[in-house]
Amino acid sequence: MKEKQTPRARLNRKRVEPYIWLLPSILLMGVMILVPIFSVFQTSFSEISKSGINKGFNGGVNYLWVFQNPTFWNTLKNTVIWTIVVVGISTVLGIILGLVLNEKFHGRKLVRAIVVFPWATALIIQSVIWKYIINADYGALNALLYKLGIIKSYVNWTATPEQFFAWECFVGILVTVPFVTFCVLSGLQSIDTSLYEAADVDGATFWSRLFKVTLPLLMPSLTVSTVLNIIYVFNSFPIIWTISKGDPADQTHTLVTYLYKLSFTNQKVGEAAAVSVVGFVILAACASVYMVITLRSEKEE
Amino acid sequence: MKKALALLLALVMALSLAACGSGGSDEKVTLNVIISQYGNYTQEWWTQFEKDFEDANKSVDLNIEIVSWNDIYSVVSTRIQSKQQPDILNISGFADYVEDDLLMKAEDYTSAEVQAKIIPSFWESNAIDGTVWALPILASCRSLFCNMDLLNEAGVTAPPTTWDEVLTACQAVKDKFGDSIVPWGLDISTDEGQAAFAYYTWNMGGGFQDESGNWALNSAENVKAVEYIKQLIDSGYCNSAPYTDTRYPLQDAFSAGTLAMMIGPMNMVSADSTVNYQSVAIPGKSIGVGICDQLMVFKNDSVKNQDARTEAIKAFFDFFYDCERYSDYMVYEGFLPATTDSSDYLASNAENHKVGGSDATGSSEYFKTFCAQLPNCQFYPLSEAEWIDVKNGVIEVEQKVCQGEISAQDALNNLQNSITAG
Repeated sequence: MKEKQTPRARLNRKRVEPYIWLLPSILLMGVMILVPIFSVFQTSFSEISKSGINKGFNGGVNYLWVFQNPTFWNTLKNTVIWTIVVVGISTVLGIILGLVLNEKFHGRKLVRAIVVFPWATALIIQSVIWKYIINADYGALNALLYKLGIIKSYVNWTATPEQFFAWECFVGILVTVPFVTFCVLSGLQSIDTSLYEAADVDGATFWSRLFKVTLPLLMPSLTVSTVLNIIYVFNSFPIIWTISKGDPADQTHTLVTYLYKLSFTNQKVGEAAAVSVVGFVILAACASVYMVITLRSEKEE
Repeated sequence: MKKALALLLALVMALSLAACGSGGSDEKVTLNVIISQYGNYTQEWWTQFEKDFEDANKSVDLNIEIVSWNDIYSVVSTRIQSKQQPDILNISGFADYVEDDLLMKAEDYTSAEVQAKIIPSFWESNAIDGTVWALPILASCRSLFCNMDLLNEAGVTAPPTTWDEVLTACQAVKDKFGDSIVPWGLDISTDEGQAAFAYYTWNMGGGFQDESGNWALNSAENVKAVEYIKQLIDSGYCNSAPYTDTRYPLQDAFSAGTLAMMIGPMNMVSADSTVNYQSVAIPGKSIGVGICDQLMVFKNDSVKNQDARTEAIKAFFDFFYDCERYSDYMVYEGFLPATTDSSDYLASNAENHKVGGSDATGSSEYFKTFCAQLPNCQFYPLSEAEWIDVKNGVIEVEQKVCQGEISAQDALNNLQNSITAG
């Protein structure tokens, strides 16, 4: 069977081979990612009847409807707040927690395991549990505070949309912190201890060690965790859908829950696709900023 | 390598030949049926049905699929998009399908016997401009449930019959029990807020449409009704999260004895509840809110033998609406029959049938009581093409008004304008 290959054939093989290996993933990406994206764009410019039939191209009518709808703008505002608050606060808390967990103390393994817990549990389960904890009539929070004598009568924790949204952000932070913590921990472990020894010799204080040594060296892991979190949190569906379904009066939606409701409750598929495209564009913009920054820093290196 | 390939090729050919064989030899009609999941045991009943039906109709291959209410609309619209619509579908609402010319007329597949026994008002409720497009699968009736022990302890001796009495009773319960008991259960969530709109508007003299069938969403009665809902919330009589609480946790709370009054379907109190309750007419005009889901048949142009298909569908409905079998399903799921013979039969024979998932039998008394209430029930205007928008619109109105964002009059005016403007 074995044939002798000419140098030329060998070269050709070398050139082609990587692409053969890449073919499955390229095919997979094409079918699972590009085709759906194309079809969402197409749907967003089509009139879809309530029973789901495509009635053809209708120009920008769906987009016009979306942009004229105040709920959409409120949703967009919520999405920005949601992403910034959840990613921002979890990053700060994650760094602190990561620094603490990097110190040696008794029961460190146990604490690390506990920290993973909210992350390892399915999001939907956590959301349901929190929904019941904060319920004013039969929730655990009121019962606990009442029994402890901290409150005299039951408090309605979710009287306004803002309160609902604040709780949702809280749950979002709770489930995002562990991921940041572990990114930070892995980053910390890759920092050479000799750097700290050198800093000690130079008489560095705790704060200057933190800001001059630790944080700069943590930057690569923080960038990864922040970018991933922005994408996850922006697209996060279960927390908001489980706790409030975007209500009261559609005021606690983010783009993802809003387009889900448009599509599956209100049966406005074309409009939902338009919202989806808007979300896609925003995320694509964020991702390109990230690409530009990383490419630039790679060049500098 | 070549050998392996040849072998594979041979195998594929053999398989495809086998497939041809099984396809050509018999001419079975295949019917795909989607049934909504009414309870935890719906699947079991229909599995038995499928078996019994296929035994009785050898030429029909029945495929029954049970789909939960959460998914059914998206499942069906996905199937329609890919031209895989079911032959028979059980869902609530059909106007959108009629608009896209997807359904067969009911008279084309309903035998005279079946048509004769369907309660006339139900038969007509599925008509658009005189043409009937669907059959009623079952009915349910909403009424007011009162926990009598709690009301008596609070000094209220009888269930309220007017909306003012509701307020008095709520205040009495609140004064007596404070935080531990919720006086009035309210659900204006996305899940079923349109039901609340119907309870209050219909019983204050308003509703979705006027007498000639035009949308009348901003009538004075409706404004009063929505303001009344806001008053219930603002007075602290309701569960704290009416915007997100669906009917189900409220029913659980009522069954557990921590909720004093709520409007709900006749089978809402759980079987193991020890609550001493009364179910009475909704205060005001005593109009019950009827829910009536449908069975409908989709066209399928790709089938060659349309007559055989129609015959099979006819056989399906004859079989399903058979008095004993249909009655058995009603007891099994706890709903009310939409046929006259089963209503009569269940008024004295419900004990012969079992409730789904338990050894308990039906109660003739229950069917007697609630079947008698059905004539007082009104139904959603499901045959209107705008219904979905109206339904979502009234929920939005309720939530916005109760949040204090906008007045009831303005919110309803806006809705009326957007619906009538198309």
